[in-house]
Parts: sequence; structure tokens; C-alpha cells
Amino acid sequence: MARVVILGAGVSGHTAAMVLRKKLSREHDVVVVTPNRRWNWIPSNIWVGVGLMGKDDVTFELAPIYERLGIDYRQAKGVELHPEGAGDAKHPFVTVEYTSDAQRGVREDLAYDYLINATGPKLNFAATPGLGPEGNSLSVCTFDHAAQTAEALRAAIERMKGGEKLTFVVGTGHGTCTCEGAAFEYVFNLEFEIRNAGVRDAARIVFLTNEAELGDFGVGGLQIQRGGYVVPSRSFAESLFVERGVEWIVGAHVSRVDPREVQYETLDGEMHTLAFDFAMLLPPFTGVGLRAVDRAGEDITAKLFAPNGFMRVDADYTAKPYEEWKARDWPKTYQSPLYGNVFAVGIAFAPPHALSRPRKTKNGTVVAPAPPRTGMPSGIMGRTVALSIADMITKGATSPTRHASMGEMGAACVASAGVGFWKGTAVSMTMFPVVPDYEKYPEAGRDLRHTVGEIGSAGHWIKRILHHLFIYKAKARPGWWMIPE
Amino acid sequence: MSVRSEQSRNAMKPTGWVLFWRTFMPYQLWRFVIVNIRMMVMIWKSHG
Repeated sequence: MARVVILGAGVSGHTAAMVLRKKLSREHDVVVVTPNRRWNWIPSNIWVGVGLMGKDDVTFELAPIYERLGIDYRQAKGVELHPEGAGDAKHPFVTVEYTSDAQRGVREDLAYDYLINATGPKLNFAATPGLGPEGNSLSVCTFDHAAQTAEALRAAIERMKGGEKLTFVVGTGHGTCTCEGAAFEYVFNLEFEIRNAGVRDAARIVFLTNEAELGDFGVGGLQIQRGGYVVPSRSFAESLFVERGVEWIVGAHVSRVDPREVQYETLDGEMHTLAFDFAMLLPPFTGVGLRAVDRAGEDITAKLFAPNGFMRVDADYTAKPYEEWKARDWPKTYQSPLYGNVFAVGIAFAPPHALSRPRKTKNGTVVAPAPPRTGMPSGIMGRTVALSIADMITKGATSPTRHASMGEMGAACVASAGVGFWKGTAVSMTMFPVVPDYEKYPEAGRDLRHTVGEIGSAGHWIKRILHHLFIYKAKARPGWWMIPE
Repeated sequence: MSVRSEQSRNAMKPTGWVLFWRTFMPYQLWRFVIVNIRMMVMIWKSHG
């Protein structure tokens, strides 16, 4: 009998848990430890943030699903890893701290044979003074944040209907943020809803981003074959911003958010301020702060985790110049190099390097979009690691049997630009591979046959269908396993 | 020159014809099929 403990129940952790439960007989335990009571389909938080969806549309209770599947669910957070056990006890375990109302603060040691770290990120609002819902800006990172943002948007629209002119700032709240695609989606949904409310003329909308150019999305931008040309994604992105009348500021590190003013530095080293009435700025991510301890009680956190708190896996973390970065640096199995029974997937693994060229301002401030590890790649990682662990348990494999490098996998992304069956649109993009591979694809780093994008109602319909499809899958409804990540 | 007009001058701007096709139902139904096929290919290539 083996016990697999999964820390986190986001896209990758939940996928891993479901696949493991399907693959392993009931003599083996699958345990999910997550501080959240509800599962959240995060891509649709964008629509919560403009008031088009509510909490129940994008979340559901985890406990009944896990009970039905036979997964041991603990509403708790992992706080300390003991991959060698402790003292005379050699079996590895993880110390968790319960977050449920009934057991809040109670700690327990959970022994494991295999551990999947799928904790996702810590939303590091503290990196920028005044950033976040507890400060002076809004967020759509959680459904509660998104609901709060929708309320603020509703109030702002009422003010504009009353004759006021308002400034909306949407984007990234720090130079090292990731998920620029989410900010992109939010700004166009916000613009669309303001237009639908008939007050577009009263709104100045500004997109403030750490990307060096629009369309970068933290993946270094895309080269797209279209109309007989190979065109950078920047051209299409700028076109959309101009069409919708959204101003943009690129290469920005937000250094402070005051009650009605954001301070930021641009790549030329200039310091700027921008007054706002409504600001939705995403935070940078860090690891969740798991500590690791060896059998003798020595702190080995720095060995297992990168300085940003994400777990080191089978990637090449050698420091080298941007020009020398390779797709093959990226991890394939997501196995810890120190402990063969520990894996990290989704946002929780430490990327070996960024995909966008990191830059510094003239003052030395780092402006470096972090690589996205969400959505489809995240789900594939969870599935891949789950299948490897199942093979290690049931077939006696001594090393991971499955590979899923972001340098060898593609991604399909649908970015909403406004909701409505007839007038709603979304950008549908596919890219292959996610991590540019200039050795294999010298021209653009990616396969141009499979790196495409277009905007239209079709994309919106697909986005809407995916919303229902992935929630159906996450609820483990009949045939869920046939729906790919 | 305002930021907006400077940015606008240097960007591609869609014509009314392009905007029409983006929400023209018969054409978008066709694109729906094509985009889904592309995504299925991407999923197939990425799941090893």
C-alpha cells in the first residue's frame, strides 16, 4: 500500500489527484491537502470581476467530490516538509496546519510515500506598498477579490452615469509579475462592459504592464503566420488596444500604489505617477513558504527550493546569459533532484529561466515578466506526474515514466475580449512549443504551422464552452477522464 | 501629442470590413470549427 499526498488542489493538483485515484486501486491512499474549501475555475474570475458571473458560477465545494471519488481531503496547508523523516522515524512526512473552522490552527504530520507539491503561488501583494485589495488596488486573482472588483466597477459606472469622468488602470503591480494574459483579458472585458453601459466616453482606460511590448504575455511574444506574413503578436495586440481606445504603458515596474495614484518606473529609468479612480493590478507570485527540514533537524529549504520559494525540479538551473537559454533547460519529469518521491507541478515548480528577456531600468530595477505555468500546461504536468507515480507504485518503475516539458508541449489559450453570443469576442491562440526552441525552429522559436491566433465570436463561444467543460471535468462527472487538459 | 494619438498612429487599425467578419455568424461558425480542430491538434501533440 502506498500513500500519495498532494499539496494544493488547483488545476494541476486537482488533475493529479483525480488521475491518481483513477489509476490506483483503493488499497492506495490519495490525500489532498488544500487550504481552500472550494475549487475555483480561475480563468473565469475575469467574468466575475466585471459582474457577469457570481461565486457559484466559478467555484464548487471540494469535499463532496473527493468523498465520492474516495480521495482523503484535508482542508489544511502544508507548512513543513520532512523528506527524510525526523529522528529515528525514517518515513517522510509533511506537517500540515488545518484551516477549517472546526480545526483551525491544529497541526498534523502526514506520512507519505510520494508527495506532489501543487501549492500554486502566494499572491505577493506585499512586494509593492499599497498593492492589493487590502491596500489601494483591486485584483481578480481569487473569486472573492473578483467579486469585490465587480462591485467597484459597478460603482464606477454609476459615477460615470452621473456625469463624472474616471480613469481606469489595469495591469501588473510589480516588475516581476506573470499572468499578463489575465490583465489583458480583464482590460478588454472592462472596456466592453463600460461601452455596454453607454459611458465609454467618460472613461479613460490605461493598461500598465511590465511587458516590454504588448503581446509579450510573459512568453516572449509570438510570431504568427497570417495574411501571407509572419507578424509579431505585438502588432495584433497594439491593433486591438487602438481599436478599443485603450492606452498602454509598457516596461513598467509599479513601485507604490497610493489611494488614488500609482507610482511606476519605466525602462528608461524615469519615475512617473498616474492618477486613477479604479485600479486592478495583479500581484507578483512567490512560493507559498514551505519549509524543509532534514532528519537531523537542519533547515534544507534552500536546497529544495529556489530563492523565490518555488521548488527545484529536474531543470537546468545553471545561471547563464539570456542568449544561451535553451528549451531543453526546462524540466521533463518535475521530480526533485534530491528526493525521488517528491514532485512539483504547475506554478509550484521553479522555472529555470524566464521566457521574456529580463530587463533592468536605468536605475537597476528588474522588470522581468515571469513565465506563465497555468492552464493547459499546468493540467498536463499534473496528469503526467500522476501517471509517473502510478507507474512507480504499480509497476515498480524506479524513475518517472512520463515526460511533459514545456519545451516540447504546446498550449491553447482563449483570451476573452468581451462577453455576448452575438457581439462577444475572444482571441484564440495556439503556440507550439510554449518555451521557444530556437535550435529546432530557428526562425521564430516556435512551429509557425501551430502558432496561430485570431479574434472573433468563435473564440468567445469556445471560451464559454471551455468554462462549462472544465468545471464538468473538475466535478468528476461521468466521462470526465475523456476530457483532455 | 497625447499618448493615445501617438500610439494610435503607429499601430495597425482594423477596417470596418475586418470588424464585420469578427462577429459575422456564418463565418464565425466556420472559424469555430477550424479553431477547435487546431486546438485538438495542439492537445494531441502536447499529451505525448
